[in-house]
Amino acid sequence: MIYFRLFWSFLKIGFTSFGGLSMIPLISSEMLSHNWMTAGEVSDIVAIAEMTPGPLGLNCATFAGMRTAGFLGALAANLGVLMPSFTLCLIAAVFFARFKEARLIQNVMIGVRPACLAMVIGVCLTLSCTNYIESGGISVPAVVIGVLDAVLLLIFRISIPKVIMLSAVLGLVVYGVVLNPQCHFFFL
Amino acid sequence: MRKISEALRLFLDFLKLGCFTFGGGWGIVAQMQRIYVEEKKSLTEEELIDLTSVARSLPGTMIGNVAMLFGYRMLGILGGFVCVLGIIMPPLLMLSIIALFYTAFRDNAWIDAAMSGVRAAVVPIIISAAVGMVKGSFKYSPCILVMLLTLGLYLFLHMSCIYLVLIGAVSGILITEVYERRGENK
Repeated sequence: MIYFRLFWSFLKIGFTSFGGLSMIPLISSEMLSHNWMTAGEVSDIVAIAEMTPGPLGLNCATFAGMRTAGFLGALAANLGVLMPSFTLCLIAAVFFARFKEARLIQNVMIGVRPACLAMVIGVCLTLSCTNYIESGGISVPAVVIGVLDAVLLLIFRISIPKVIMLSAVLGLVVYGVVLNPQCHFFFL
Repeated sequence: MRKISEALRLFLDFLKLGCFTFGGGWGIVAQMQRIYVEEKKSLTEEELIDLTSVARSLPGTMIGNVAMLFGYRMLGILGGFVCVLGIIMPPLLMLSIIALFYTAFRDNAWIDAAMSGVRAAVVPIIISAAVGMVKGSFKYSPCILVMLLTLGLYLFLHMSCIYLVLIGAVSGILITEVYERRGENK
């Protein structure tokens, strides 16, 4: 049963990964050993997952499912990768509500909150390296768009979907028209 | 009946959130902070950080975990399932369409240009979430040391997030223990 095999593969991926790029090696070995994707397709799906809404794990599940067994396959794979949320996380949620008032948990959280903040800062730094540095140099248009977005978000409190839309339009204009050699006749 | 209409509203809220999940789970946390902490005030800043850190330290995708924890908090088990389904629906449909037109999508220069702009927005979005987290993070001054230590371990030793959360948990117990003893001696 292909649906069950997809479900099972992505269940394993879900339970042994902690989100983000740490999933890539696991996904790659599962996809290649079942012949569900080629190595080239695995790296393409990483790029597509980064460019479209949704986290890597879910996007890979959908992509692999669609290409091997159509939409039902995509559903089965998604269900597999979401099983930790439906089981472990549900248990945590039940206990979380019950023991949140407990002293120990509150004390634990005093140390976990700064650690969590550190991880957010770390993610920002590593993402800055991939998003603002291009083939060895700093990408000026990306930095300009980034600074503009930061001002809109932090000072003018513009909502995040609007900022994403605006950045997409700016990207189209800057990368698609201004920096595109084929469009330079606009400026002649 | 009220529960069903509330569940429906949660579902629609998370459906909307799911359309804008660029850059992994942190973008979602930033938007939840805007909507539920600042506008609706149905969640405090600290509660959001707690949800996030629990979601982050469990296996699985972060947005699925955040949605489950938040939904459960708002509306019990039904809320948890409704939020997870809502948030995964947009990426599921979108990726299904992309998988169908995979090669054409990959080679389209216009899509690539628009996405270069979107990628530039990811870091500012995450920063806007981090700014909100600073307030609840430093109850005692050694918390700053915990932050610097875990940041160093994350950046230079690429330590897995689960160990960082464990380090934070142990330091939290130690820090409060020390400060409470001092308080008793006074």
